[in-house]
Amino acid sequence: MEKNITFTLNGTKVNLTTNPLNRLLDVLREHFDLTASKEGCSEGECGACSVLFDGHMVTSCLIPMGAVEGHEIMTLEGIKQTELGKIIIDAYADGGAVQCGFCIPGMVVATYYLLMQNHNPTEDECRVGISGNICRCTGYDLIVKSIMLAAERARRTIWA
Amino acid sequence: MGVNCYVPQTLEEALKIRSEKDCIILAGGSDLMVGAFRATGVTPYFASDVMIIRSLKELQGISRNNKGQIEIKACTTSREIASNPLVPWVLRQAAGKMGAIGLRNSATIGGNIANASPKGDMPGPLYLLDAIVVVESLARGEREIPISEFILKLKTVAIEKDEIITKVLIPYDDTSFDAFFYHKIGRRHANAISKLTLTSAIKFSRRGSVTDFRLATTACGVKTNRSREVESLLIGHKKSEIPSLIDSVTTAFDALLTPRAMPEYRKESTKKMIEDFLLKVSHNDEQKFYE
Amino acid sequence: MEDRTSSPECTKYEEFFNEFLPKDNDTPLVSVESAVHRVDAISKASGELKYVADIKFPDMIYARMIRAEIPRGTIKKIHVPSLPKGYYFITEKDIPEGGKNCLNMIASDWKCFAAGVVRFRGETIGLLCGPNREKLLDLEKQIKIEYIEETPAVTIQEGLDCKGGAFVNDNNIHCHLKLEMGENVDDIFEKAPHVFEDTIETGFQEHVYLETNGIIIRKEGEKYVLYASAQCPFYIRKSIYTLLNIPIEDVVVRQISTGGAFGGKEHFPDVLAGPLLVAEHKIGKPIKLIFQREEDIENSVKRHPSLIKFKTATDENGNILAMDSKVYYNVGGYLASSYVVLQRGCFHIMGCYKFPSARTEGFGVATNCYPSCAFRGFGAPQAIFAIETHMCHLAKHFGIDPLEYKRKYLIKQGDTTITNGKIVEEVQCPKMIEQLTEASDYYTKSKEYGYGSYKGIGISFYNHGGAFTGNGESAIIKGRVRLTKNSNGTVDIFCGQTEMGQGINTALRKIAAVTLGLPMSKVNFNAPDTGVVPDSGPTAASRSTMVPGFLVEKAAKEMKERWDNEESFSVEKQYEHPEGYPWDQSTFQGYAYLGYGWGCSIVEVEIDKRTTEVQIKGIWSSHDVGNCIDKRIVYGQVNGGIAQGIGWASTELLQNIGGKFKETSFSDYIVPTSMDLPEQKVFFANSPYEWGPYGAKGMGELVFNGVGAAYIDAVSRAINRDISKIPVPSEYVTDHVLHGVSDCLKEIK
Repeated sequence: MEKNITFTLNGTKVNLTTNPLNRLLDVLREHFDLTASKEGCSEGECGACSVLFDGHMVTSCLIPMGAVEGHEIMTLEGIKQTELGKIIIDAYADGGAVQCGFCIPGMVVATYYLLMQNHNPTEDECRVGISGNICRCTGYDLIVKSIMLAAERARRTIWA
Repeated sequence: MGVNCYVPQTLEEALKIRSEKDCIILAGGSDLMVGAFRATGVTPYFASDVMIIRSLKELQGISRNNKGQIEIKACTTSREIASNPLVPWVLRQAAGKMGAIGLRNSATIGGNIANASPKGDMPGPLYLLDAIVVVESLARGEREIPISEFILKLKTVAIEKDEIITKVLIPYDDTSFDAFFYHKIGRRHANAISKLTLTSAIKFSRRGSVTDFRLATTACGVKTNRSREVESLLIGHKKSEIPSLIDSVTTAFDALLTPRAMPEYRKESTKKMIEDFLLKVSHNDEQKFYE
Repeated sequence: MEDRTSSPECTKYEEFFNEFLPKDNDTPLVSVESAVHRVDAISKASGELKYVADIKFPDMIYARMIRAEIPRGTIKKIHVPSLPKGYYFITEKDIPEGGKNCLNMIASDWKCFAAGVVRFRGETIGLLCGPNREKLLDLEKQIKIEYIEETPAVTIQEGLDCKGGAFVNDNNIHCHLKLEMGENVDDIFEKAPHVFEDTIETGFQEHVYLETNGIIIRKEGEKYVLYASAQCPFYIRKSIYTLLNIPIEDVVVRQISTGGAFGGKEHFPDVLAGPLLVAEHKIGKPIKLIFQREEDIENSVKRHPSLIKFKTATDENGNILAMDSKVYYNVGGYLASSYVVLQRGCFHIMGCYKFPSARTEGFGVATNCYPSCAFRGFGAPQAIFAIETHMCHLAKHFGIDPLEYKRKYLIKQGDTTITNGKIVEEVQCPKMIEQLTEASDYYTKSKEYGYGSYKGIGISFYNHGGAFTGNGESAIIKGRVRLTKNSNGTVDIFCGQTEMGQGINTALRKIAAVTLGLPMSKVNFNAPDTGVVPDSGPTAASRSTMVPGFLVEKAAKEMKERWDNEESFSVEKQYEHPEGYPWDQSTFQGYAYLGYGWGCSIVEVEIDKRTTEVQIKGIWSSHDVGNCIDKRIVYGQVNGGIAQGIGWASTELLQNIGGKFKETSFSDYIVPTSMDLPEQKVFFANSPYEWGPYGAKGMGELVFNGVGAAYIDAVSRAINRDISKIPVPSEYVTDHVLHGVSDCLKEIK
């Protein structure tokens, strides 16, 4: 059975007909061709499919489309258009946070979510902020430093 | 082909659907969607119809009701619970240590109770605080059930087919106790399922004797373990007498535990955590003690 | 942006990264060491880069792998439902005449499709293909396979005992080797005042590349083109072309940006590629096969579990006179690449030490487990964990600080190895000791914490022989690299090395750019396509920078000389083994490795007395990588390798019960999160390698090899219990506290 579902996706109102039990992750990747959100574990454990749901980070592999009706979803494709998103992406590149890159879209979403709530995090708070995102390459240190770099730059610019 | 999925817009609508259809209630989805997953690009599988209630406005929020109870609506997320100062400290701890950040933005208190998993994060503190689960149906209105009677066994709760969990009532707040303990052991330091959780609270009279002592542990049996009998071992005793009573408390509590896997580890850790907490409490002079 | 007048703290992290100084990619490069932007960082961080799962082709269909559900037995009958139009079930029967049902890994024993006999649970039986994924699931459920089940051997001991009857040779030994140096150890055991026995075990480890395995195959003209998440495109080609009995060039492998591999995508993609090739031959449409996570953990290769037995002779004061060891690796159902893994294990069994006499014997044990294969370290980590832990046990027995005990035996330049070759380079371990004991305050803490204080500090030494063993690079691999100067002044690198997160696509460009005096932006290097690039050998064995990188440097040097006189030209270089360092692959005698990476790690832990939860308080490491081709990339490799090594020793429990892996999801298989690790302190003590680019040696595996032993040393000291088996999750720590022993050496004399 299918339903018509309307929601806001990266700032634009969208509408599609789909089974309301389908996963948001599948709809983003296959219907909207937004492939920044990655499927790492299919059970909400790795954070690679993280998106913002009404401004709060969730793992899109666990969200059925029926729950999305009327809500706002922001993916990395939306975040990268924002000033803060650009600062984070640049800081990740400058700080050497990126290795294989598969966890990184989710990490950037988690970083954005953290920095939206806390403009001046400590390294420990950064570790908490990305603790739901599994990375197998980096050992997390350069990701943490890159988040600190992004926060520092954002404080000097967009939050100054 | 396939099951129906309902997305009601109001609680009334939800109760009506529930009265007419036999359906699985999906709130945050953080547990049900894992079980229903089949493969990428394939609709998750549910054995019967599903009703998604995540966004029902009537089921959101935390407040103090006119009886003085803390009232947490069923679809309130772990994040909201963890960050609201009205919520007792032990429950805030449990909510804040549940899974990963993304999960805490989806997982709800109603879902965590209905899931009735021995590894659930919320039931421990809810047992400790004598929480009451409120269910509602169109036919019979509201019904209040103590959490210890609501969770029957693994994956089974005392809910009728036409009912929905609407809220949880907590008759205590942080002024009700003087010392608090919460410790969750996961298999790693974040993003973990509970391997063992112990929570405790103690109240002293002005003269320093124990008027209330509570102890609850999860993941040491199919249900949360709590026993008034064990707790009564400390009641009436002076703070200074606690160290001499620790052995009897830990021995009596240990007898309740029936962990399926890693029994020795779970029993040993439980015992040592109780010992450590009670010793610290007995030596503590601060007004409030959190461990 | 220009107003930077704020307080100094506001630029603290800018300054931290200034040490690495990311260079503008349009300025000519002068140093290989200082950092550049990784060429793929922005496209990855912005989510624009496509991985295999993100790629669609018109008319593409999907595949699901159908596998054996029993660990051992024979297939009696396969019941396949009637398939709707457009759906196919591909099995061994679809291999065309002249084709061979095998995958040519190093050995060719692994069957593409299980035919009759099942050697392990998860062995491929067929590939179900069709356009609708839900329909594929329905059909999959209807495929019923009847078996005659046999008793499986799962553990090393069960394999050795030939439980259920031997199924490889007459003793379940897939492969075997023996090495000796110095005098006959048996004679020394006779005379020595003390002889000890010690048994060390390590478990399975799952790679946990964040991207699961996936390949898309499609016919492009006459060629079968595979778009693969893989480390070694040329391996895949060689492995599968014999299935169709077609010219090897008709199989083309294009590597797609790979979301982590760690050895798990070295030979394993062949297991997807083989059935896909047979399916494509029959179906002719693009076919996509992407593993789900649980499917991937349950049905893919792992790190070899090991059982290593030492017998060591000492004098009255604990001085080691001779060491004998038996090294058993759980190889699983097929040999595949495991003989080479076992060899590397035996070559590393003396760790960073030299003993007067030593002997080792290695056994690759056949079991009915999913075959074990490459995983960062390739057999060396198990051996190093074992020797390091054995040394700690001996040190404790004789009441000597482990560092002091180990340091007496540290091998030096010119010393003889177990293969009777010599150490070519200067060994930097003494310098590492200085760096790390000071940074970590080792001596004070070692004394203060002692044994049993629930605080502990541990230390380990380790090495890793870079590239293929002995003369393998020239005798077997024969790697070639080509550089082309284009008329517009840009340079293209043609090389088969693959980017999987380790940074090779930045490192190779950088080597060329620095040598030619060009900016990074003028040097191109695309993900390899076997139809385009020469075979420069696999992206494995920590060889990519060391060997192909050296060829890039050599080619670039020649290109520079010809640069002004020729407008467009190519230079191709092939690897040559340096003279004077002989190796005999039939006897395993000689110089096994010309350049080792060396390392030392110190780990500090604190253990909760109530719950035995372990908190890591500090990790200090120093490595000799020859030279850092990019300091920030190397730093990231160190961080990641150490995190993985800690996981292997601590939380990453993976049990195989009756032939089936138990911890098959991310909630059950526990890898470290950002909260499980402290910030690492990273040092280097580099000793340049003569035959590497700008002195660089292999380092990707080195950084994994040793930290597990330092962690276990720290935990053991904290609880005053010897630990002989990893992993040790926190509940096992309780078990050690309650039932363990503080001295597990068996003194047999």
